[in-house]
Amino acid sequence: MTAVLQVGQLSVEAGEIVALLGGNGAGKTGLLETVLGFRPGRALLFGNDVSSLPVEQRVLLGVGYVPAGRRVFASLTVRENLEASCALPLPERRRLTDEMLASFPMLAERPHARAWLLSGGQQQMLALARALMNRPRLLLLDEPTLGLAPRVVGDLLERLGTLAAERCAILLAEQRAGLALRAATRGVVLSRGRIVRQGSAVALAADAELADLMAGG
Amino acid sequence: MAYALVALGFVLALNAAGAVNFAHGDLVVLGGAVAMFIGVRIGLPGVALLPLVAVALGVAGIVAAQVAILPLASRPPEATFIATIALAAVIEQALTLAMAGAPGSTPAIAGSGSLEIEGLALGRQPLAIVVISAVLVLAVWLLLERTQTGRRMRAVAADRHMAQAVGISVGRYVTLSLALAGALAGTAGVLLGHQFLVQPTQGAGYMLKAYMAVALGGWGSVPGALLGAIAIGSFETFVSTGLGETWASAALYVGVLLILSLRPQGLFGEPGGRRA
Amino acid sequence: MLAINRFWLVVLIALPVVALLALPGFGQRMVVLIGIYGLLGVGYQLTFGQLGMLNLAQGAFFGLGAYAAALTAPALGAFALLLGVVAAAVPAALVAVLTLRLQSHYFALATLALASLVSLVAVNAEGLTGGANGLAGFAAALPRGPVLMGLVWGCLIAAVVLHAWVFSGPIGEQASLLRQAPLVAATLGIDPGRFRVTAFVFGGALAGLAGAFSASLSGVVSPEAAGFPLMVLCLSLVVLGGARHAMGAVIGAILAVCLPELLRDLQGAWLLGYAIITLVVVRWAPEGLASLVDQARGMTQTPASAPQAPATAPPASHHQQLTLQRVSKRFGGVDALRDVSLTVRRGEILGLIGPNGSGKTTLLNVVSGLERPDSGSILLDKTHLEVLPAHRIAQAGLARSFQAVMRAGESKSSDLARALTRGAAFLLLDEPAGGMGERERRQLAGLLRRLREQGYGILIVDHDIDLLSSVCDRLICLDGGHTIAEGPPAAVRADQRVRASFLGLADAA
Repeated sequence: MTAVLQVGQLSVEAGEIVALLGGNGAGKTGLLETVLGFRPGRALLFGNDVSSLPVEQRVLLGVGYVPAGRRVFASLTVRENLEASCALPLPERRRLTDEMLASFPMLAERPHARAWLLSGGQQQMLALARALMNRPRLLLLDEPTLGLAPRVVGDLLERLGTLAAERCAILLAEQRAGLALRAATRGVVLSRGRIVRQGSAVALAADAELADLMAGG
Repeated sequence: MAYALVALGFVLALNAAGAVNFAHGDLVVLGGAVAMFIGVRIGLPGVALLPLVAVALGVAGIVAAQVAILPLASRPPEATFIATIALAAVIEQALTLAMAGAPGSTPAIAGSGSLEIEGLALGRQPLAIVVISAVLVLAVWLLLERTQTGRRMRAVAADRHMAQAVGISVGRYVTLSLALAGALAGTAGVLLGHQFLVQPTQGAGYMLKAYMAVALGGWGSVPGALLGAIAIGSFETFVSTGLGETWASAALYVGVLLILSLRPQGLFGEPGGRRA
Repeated sequence: MLAINRFWLVVLIALPVVALLALPGFGQRMVVLIGIYGLLGVGYQLTFGQLGMLNLAQGAFFGLGAYAAALTAPALGAFALLLGVVAAAVPAALVAVLTLRLQSHYFALATLALASLVSLVAVNAEGLTGGANGLAGFAAALPRGPVLMGLVWGCLIAAVVLHAWVFSGPIGEQASLLRQAPLVAATLGIDPGRFRVTAFVFGGALAGLAGAFSASLSGVVSPEAAGFPLMVLCLSLVVLGGARHAMGAVIGAILAVCLPELLRDLQGAWLLGYAIITLVVVRWAPEGLASLVDQARGMTQTPASAPQAPATAPPASHHQQLTLQRVSKRFGGVDALRDVSLTVRRGEILGLIGPNGSGKTTLLNVVSGLERPDSGSILLDKTHLEVLPAHRIAQAGLARSFQAVMRAGESKSSDLARALTRGAAFLLLDEPAGGMGERERRQLAGLLRRLREQGYGILIVDHDIDLLSSVCDRLICLDGGHTIAEGPPAAVRADQRVRASFLGLADAA
């Protein structure tokens, strides 16, 4: 069965959570940006070569992006962040927004608050909810656990598991390998822009050289 | 009050294009000129002119951006600085030639004369200007705050890259914002052009007032720009009645210089740290 | 030696000479006007061209000079010209100091407000300026004819030559850095304030001189001398000619004066044409026409020289030790640095490692003065650095290289080299190995060892643990803003807490 995503030597299948590991400067963000189209490079999405498609069109094919630093639309409210990110017509859009808020209790508390007022954890959840508004089949996350309380991290990883169970493909870029490998099925280690190790999450977690590989930059 | 329209268009263009459009004031004058032209040739009543001018200037706004702003987005800020100033000069000179040195005025919207309300005689034209401006500002506010289009425009202004990453076609919304900015400028031109005549040299003055309003109200903030414009308009009227227009302008310029030297970060700081 | 090539120098001298010898009075006046606009333009090149300042007040200074000369001519004769300079330079100095710290979009507004104010006064202060009709009949005491030609072109040639000479040297490179990468410039000890004030005052003075000369030439001064169209003309002629080219202002001035004559039949349309040409040039020939002429003649402009191979002479400074004592920094509720202490001695390399968000870049920012610590001290021997602005810290003996800020076309090594040529004894290197391949990393390692031998003290942040292990004497590992391990590289790498931090096995602090 064709992979949901194929970029370079990396492929991600539906229902998988792949941890993309590596230190800073290893190329994790660069790879995600190539998949999205912010950087030039060849990528296959859902079996199609999307290299010539602009970012917004690739996203509408079914890709969700939770960037490093969250980057919610600061001056828009929680609700507006979700609605603006949805391409559906009015009735469905409103229903979907209500559903999304219902499934994220942290956000339902204050749907009309401006996004810049939210705490780090709330913004991270908003960034995730926003990425889900177009019902993506591929979800890309860049260091989503940075600066989050352990409880929120747990919540986040649990949701990723649920999404994977619903056949969404997930690529999770992380520096904190231990966390990522607990949630993932497979792992890929990047160093200086190239893949230096691939394997099952269990195997990688037990790999003694992992710390050195991650620290190689 | 019509200044509010100019300032509103200015800040929308600023947020969409990420740069100051020094030709914005000349778009206002252009609006007045187009109204004059159509009014003379076709003899439409004042009110009917507004939508025509709005559309025409919406197009002009898009063209202006395509010529002088968007292609220079990746160059240092000096490039758009020069290009929009040059564009302003182009519009001003073209208008000077077209009007052959005879300033005119736009047709009145509501006729001359005044209304009696509660014993106060209010000029019909100024009243009409206030009402129409308020309606337009309200309409734009509704667009931005209550419609999906407006939400997407704000998302693009907030974070262009992320807007793309949620599937918004940034190019389309930038164009829309710029068209709206042009339409607002043109409408203001029709309204202002009756009382203040339509003279090609006025462009710089309108642009300066919009610039001051945005600096005063918080760079990039839409409600701030409106408040700033109203503050400037009120200040001007207030000082004018006492000391005359010249002193009002002088006070305004000195005031701006003082404020900027005392608060280099602007009067209210900048929401989210924007840059011109 | 004069930094302006002979071709242009010949043009500069020939123009006025030929005009005096061969042109009728009308033509001579045109050439004087070219000289005047040229002076105005050179002044503008200082602020706008070299420093990228969005200055809209140049026209106002021209007007101030013109009016001052006109008003004082009856009393002072030719010395009124000097007064014109002063009348422009003094307000320029005042405004420059007041607007020093403004970001560019506010600076533009401030200069615009100033220009509008001057214009308003010119039109309305009838008692002083003659109002809309202006002043006349003062020119008898001022230089005319060939004397004026000589004065104007003498000043212009001096200004052009000086401008070219000053900016072809280190000042030119500093100005370029200030224009394109102000943060880098600050950490290299370049004082932005001093540059801007100086440029603004000299630029304004030249405009005032040009204005005074124009009063001499036409015998009449009207509010147009301070109006916005003149400002636009000044901007256009500098852009057309080439904002940073030595001859930019003169070429632009030639166009500005000759075009109206050439396009005489089109009456007022020449201004329109001029503005359109400016637009075209900005989009497709941003370096201006003077550069195009140079290219056509086969001359390429020499790029500002930047050392390729880093000079490795021993540092000039005498400082012996850089110390941090319990430095802390919070950003809105997050502890970026908590009680961090460390010492770097001359002839020692200290490496700083840690995961993303551990505070490494904040530490470098705090030491180099781009941020202020909330508590703690930073000492260079006995001097407290935490109270000094960035450029003073650099001048005191500390130099920093940046992660990703580089001028187009330069390699990382010249970024480093620039840091070295300051004579600083202590170097802060922020991820110098980023993006480097294997061979380059080995070269970098060799360079760092050479520097250590020569007595530099180096604090280096990087993610490449192998590189750091091979060159550093000691490593410090940060996590969550505080130090979790310190010692020889092998020991730190083996430290359990460090390994846990890198794998993220320890959650939060």
